[in-house]
Amino acid sequence: METHDYKKAAWLALALVLLFVAGWEIYWRNQGFALSFNDDESLWAHNRKKIYNTAPGQPVIIGSSRVKFDIDQETWEKETGYKPVQLALVGTSPRPILRDLANDPKFKGTVLVGITEGLFFSADGSFMEDRAAKRLAFYPRWSLSQQVSFQLNHILESNLIFLDEERFSLNSLLKRLPIESRPGVFVFPNFPLQMGYTMANRQEVFSDAFMADTAVQHGVQYVWSYLGMLETKRGFSGDTLSNIISSVKGSVDKIRARGGSVTFLRMPSSDPAWSAEKQTHPRELYWDRLLRETGAPGIHFTDYPELSKYICPDWSHLSPADTKPFTKDLIRIIEEKNRVTLRKTSAIPKIQ
Amino acid sequence: MVFNSYTFVLFFILLLVLHNLPFSWKTKKINLLLASYLFYALWNPPFILLLWLSTVVDYYMARLISVTEDKMRRKMWLAVSLVLNLGMLSYFKYGGFLLENFTALMASMGIVFQAVKPDIILPVGISFYTFVTLSYTIDVYRRKFAPEPSFLNFALFVTYFPHLVAGPIVRPEDLIPQFKEPRKATSYQMLWGLFLLSLGLFMKVVIADGWMAEPADFIFSLPFPVNPLDAWSAVLAFSAQIFCDFAGYSTCAIGVSLCLGFTLPENFRFPYAAIGFSDFWRRWHITLSTWLRDYLYIPLGGNRSGGFRTYINLMITMLLGGLWHGASWNFVIWGGLHGLFLCIERLIRGIPKRQKNTSLAEDMVIQATIIPIRSKNMSNFLLALFTLFLVNITWVFFRSPDFGSAMRMLLCMFGVITQGPKMLATPDMLKIAIVTVALFCTHWYMRDKTVRSVFGRFPWWLLGTIWSIMLILIILTQKSTSSFIYFQF
Repeated sequence: METHDYKKAAWLALALVLLFVAGWEIYWRNQGFALSFNDDESLWAHNRKKIYNTAPGQPVIIGSSRVKFDIDQETWEKETGYKPVQLALVGTSPRPILRDLANDPKFKGTVLVGITEGLFFSADGSFMEDRAAKRLAFYPRWSLSQQVSFQLNHILESNLIFLDEERFSLNSLLKRLPIESRPGVFVFPNFPLQMGYTMANRQEVFSDAFMADTAVQHGVQYVWSYLGMLETKRGFSGDTLSNIISSVKGSVDKIRARGGSVTFLRMPSSDPAWSAEKQTHPRELYWDRLLRETGAPGIHFTDYPELSKYICPDWSHLSPADTKPFTKDLIRIIEEKNRVTLRKTSAIPKIQ
Repeated sequence: MVFNSYTFVLFFILLLVLHNLPFSWKTKKINLLLASYLFYALWNPPFILLLWLSTVVDYYMARLISVTEDKMRRKMWLAVSLVLNLGMLSYFKYGGFLLENFTALMASMGIVFQAVKPDIILPVGISFYTFVTLSYTIDVYRRKFAPEPSFLNFALFVTYFPHLVAGPIVRPEDLIPQFKEPRKATSYQMLWGLFLLSLGLFMKVVIADGWMAEPADFIFSLPFPVNPLDAWSAVLAFSAQIFCDFAGYSTCAIGVSLCLGFTLPENFRFPYAAIGFSDFWRRWHITLSTWLRDYLYIPLGGNRSGGFRTYINLMITMLLGGLWHGASWNFVIWGGLHGLFLCIERLIRGIPKRQKNTSLAEDMVIQATIIPIRSKNMSNFLLALFTLFLVNITWVFFRSPDFGSAMRMLLCMFGVITQGPKMLATPDMLKIAIVTVALFCTHWYMRDKTVRSVFGRFPWWLLGTIWSIMLILIILTQKSTSSFIYFQF
C-alpha cells in the first residue's frame, strides 16, 4: 500500500530545510563570524580573465598567502585608481602561474611575484605546485554553465555565512571531530575557524576574533610549526635550484619581450618564522641570486625600514590594520624602484 | 550543464514554468528541444554541430532505409549511418589511443614513427548519443521500428537533455511514442520526480563527491605502494564513488524527466547485491548492457552457436564494452575480466547441482546457528559478497591511471607489497567503512524491491524527514562544481 501524501511529505521537507538553513545561518552569525567567499577554481578563473586590461598600476599579483594578506587591494585601488588582479594561491608555488602568464601571448602586463622561499624554490611537479596546476588546468575548461553558476553562487555567498566551504561545509566540520588518527599518518592540521576570511576580490584578512585572541593566534602558529615552518634544513641547491631559477628567467624574459614587467616581492615574516627562513634560504643564495640571474627588480622587506617595522601576529602575515600603510609604502617603493607611476591621476608626478 | 549546479536549478525552474504554460504541444516540444541544445551548448558550444550532424544524417538515413526494398541500398544507407556515428566516436575518442598504439607497434618493429599527438577534446556525451542514434537506424533497418516522420520528435529523442550526456541510453520505443501526445507531469509525478532528483543529488554530491572522491583520488594518484588497508580503503571508496556518481546521475535524469511528464528507463537496480556477474550486468548500467546484448552479442550469434562460440561472443562483447568506457588498455582489461567472470560463471552453472543430502546437511548446520537465516539466503549472501569482492578487483583497473599502477595497487591489496606507508587518516577510513557497509546492506535489502515500493510505504512524515535530511546534507556538503565521472566516457 503506497502512501498518497507526497504533498504533505514535500511541504514537511521544505519546512525542515528552511528551518535548518535559517537556524544554521543564525547560529554562525551569533558566533561572530563574518561573510567569507570560497576561494575556489571559479573565483580564480574569474580573476584570471581580467589580466589583459594592462596598466602598470593594475598588476597581476601571484605568489602564496603573504601577498594575499599583505597587499590591501582597497588601499591599492584608493592610491592608484586601479584594481589589481589577485591570482596568488595559498600554500602554493607561483612558478606555474608565472609560466602560464609568460606563455599567454596576449598578456603584456605587470606581474608582482610574492616570494616565500620554501614554496617558491620547490621542485617541479612538487606538492607546492599542485593547487596552481589544478587552477591552470581548470581555467581553459571553465564552461559557460560554470560561469553562470559562479555568478549565482556569488549572490548567495554575499548573503549567507554558512556557505563558506572552507570552514562550515560538512567535510570541514567532520575533519574537526576529535578522532585520533592512525599513528604515522600525516593529517593536515585545521586552522582555527576564527582565523580569518576571504573577500570577493580574493583578499585574505585576519578576523577581529583572531586579532583579539592570542589563543587563536597560537592555534595558527601551531599549524605553521606542524607544517615545518620552523625547521631549519637548507632548501634545494645545485642543479635543482639552477633549473628553477633558469625556468623563472625564461618566463620573465618572455613577459619582458612583450613589453611587460616582473617584480619580485619578499613580504615580511617575523620571528621565529623569519629566523628559520634565514637559515633554510639564506638571502644571498636564493633571493639575491634570483634577482641577479633573472635581471628582474625585487623588493625585500628588510631593505626598507617602512616595510620591516611590522610584527606578524601569526609570524607570517600582517594584521589588517598594518596592511594599509604597508600597501601605501609598497606602491611608492615600486614606483621608485621601477621608475614608473602606478597612479591613474596626474596629480602625482611621473617618476622618470 | 550539470544537475548539481546553480545554473541547472535556474534552467530547470524556467523550463518547468514554460512546460506548464498553456502553449501548444508542438511549442512545448520546441521549448524542450531548444532547452536541450542550451543544456548541451553551455558545455562547449561548437560540439553542438556534431549533435546536429548525427541527428540530421540518422533521420534521413532511416527514412531512406525504410522506403527502399533493395537490400544493397538498405545496407548502404545503414553503413552511412554507422560510418558517420562510429567514425566520429572513433576520431574523438580513440584517435589519440590508436596513434599511440600504432607508434608503439612501429617501435617494437624497430621503425621510428613520431606523429604529432593530436589535441582532441572529447565532446561530452558522444558515447551516449552515438548509441542512441545508432539504435534508431539499426532498429529501422531491422524493421523493428518505423522511422519517425516528425523531425522534431526525432531531434528531441536524440537531444532530450535528461539522458543526453550520460544516459540512460534510450531506445526509440522508450521516448518517441511519449513525444506524440501532450504530456504534463501529474502532481504525483512532479513530487516523485523531485524526490528522485534529491536522492540522485544526495548520492552524487554527498556520498560520491563529498565523502568518497577525496580518499580514492588521493590513493590512486600516489606513485608509490601503500599499506594494504589503505589500498583496500581506496578501492572500496572508488567502488562507492562510481556507483553513487553514476547511479546518482541516472536517478537525477529519471527524476528530472518525470517532472516534465516523461519516463526514462531504469539504469541501476542495486548492483552491489548481485549474485554473480550475469546478475551484476542485469543491475549495473542496464541500458548499456542491454544495448550491447541487442546490438552486439546477439548479432554475433549470442548463445545460439554452441558453447565455445558463446564464450567468444561474451568476451568480444565485454572487451568492446570496456573499450566503450575509454581509450585505454585498462578499460579493455576491466571489460576482459568481466567477460572472463561471466564465462566462468556460465561454465559453473553448466555443472550439475550437488546431491540434495549435502544441501540438507548445510541447512542443518546453518539453522543451528543463532542467526535466523535460511541456507539459500546465506549462500546467496555469501555469493553476493564474493561477487562484490571480484567487482572491486576489476575497479582497480578501471580507476588506475595505467596498468603499472593497477598492478601495484593489487599487490598492495593482497599483501604482496606490505611495506607501503599508511596514508589515510582514521576519519576517512571510518567514512569509507560506514558507506561500504551501508551501501551493501541497502543493496541487499533492496535487491528485489524498488525505491518507489519502499519509500512509498513510508508514512508522509517519515518520507518528508528523510527527504529533508538528504537536502540538508546536500546544502551542507556544498560541492557544486564537480562533473559526473561518466561525462568523460
